[in-house]
Amino acid sequence: MIKIELAIETLVKNKVEFVIVGDIAITAHGSAYITKDLDFCYSRNKANLKNIVSALAPFKPRPRGFPENLPYIFDETTLRNATNFTFETEIGDVDLLGEVAGIGVFSEVKEFSTLMELFGFEARVLSIEGLILAKRAAGRPKDLLVLPELEAMQESLLKEQDAG
Amino acid sequence: MRKLNPKVEEWLLNPPPGSKAAAAKEFGVDLTLLIGTLRMTPTERLKELQVSMESLAEFSKQARIWREKNRDKN
Repeated sequence: MIKIELAIETLVKNKVEFVIVGDIAITAHGSAYITKDLDFCYSRNKANLKNIVSALAPFKPRPRGFPENLPYIFDETTLRNATNFTFETEIGDVDLLGEVAGIGVFSEVKEFSTLMELFGFEARVLSIEGLILAKRAAGRPKDLLVLPELEAMQESLLKEQDAG
Repeated sequence: MRKLNPKVEEWLLNPPPGSKAAAAKEFGVDLTLLIGTLRMTPTERLKELQVSMESLAEFSKQARIWREKNRDKN
């Protein structure tokens, strides 16, 4: 189970360039959906990889399902050698995505994000429009299940903007 | 707590036919729950999610303990 506030705090304080995507983003926009992990899309530039290591290394990330008796090194080289990671950490499960299906890499995901104040920190969260694109592209039954609610949320947001 | 526009609230309570909200209601989405979360700030929503996660984890733990205790009885 992810400690949401602590995870966001460590990413922001370490100046990680990230966009929260997935079910925590859906909840931040208003869904009552329950999830267990934090998914975020990250910039793969060198400085950001270093910042991600500074942010998460204290919480001992290891790939989920990785044998306990084997050593695992979490550093910039590890992050350079792949794009997407599913980690378990001392603050819960964290998924790092270099790109998001239906949208693209970090720079494109950022275009579909909105700044939100979360626990006193400013963090980027994938917009409802972006979430709809991503869920449609992912296309698994669990993704398609949330689409009607997301579309209703998008419609209500537009109504709210129209109403001033 | 943030203020949700009363017109939006009314529209979600009685979604007009053909709207996305009506389709969501038909699909089984509880729009009264959605109104409740839309009245919250994003931080309040995530705090509530954290509480829900913790409750579910505790519930799962207790269920596992109960199953282990009663394994031999069944």
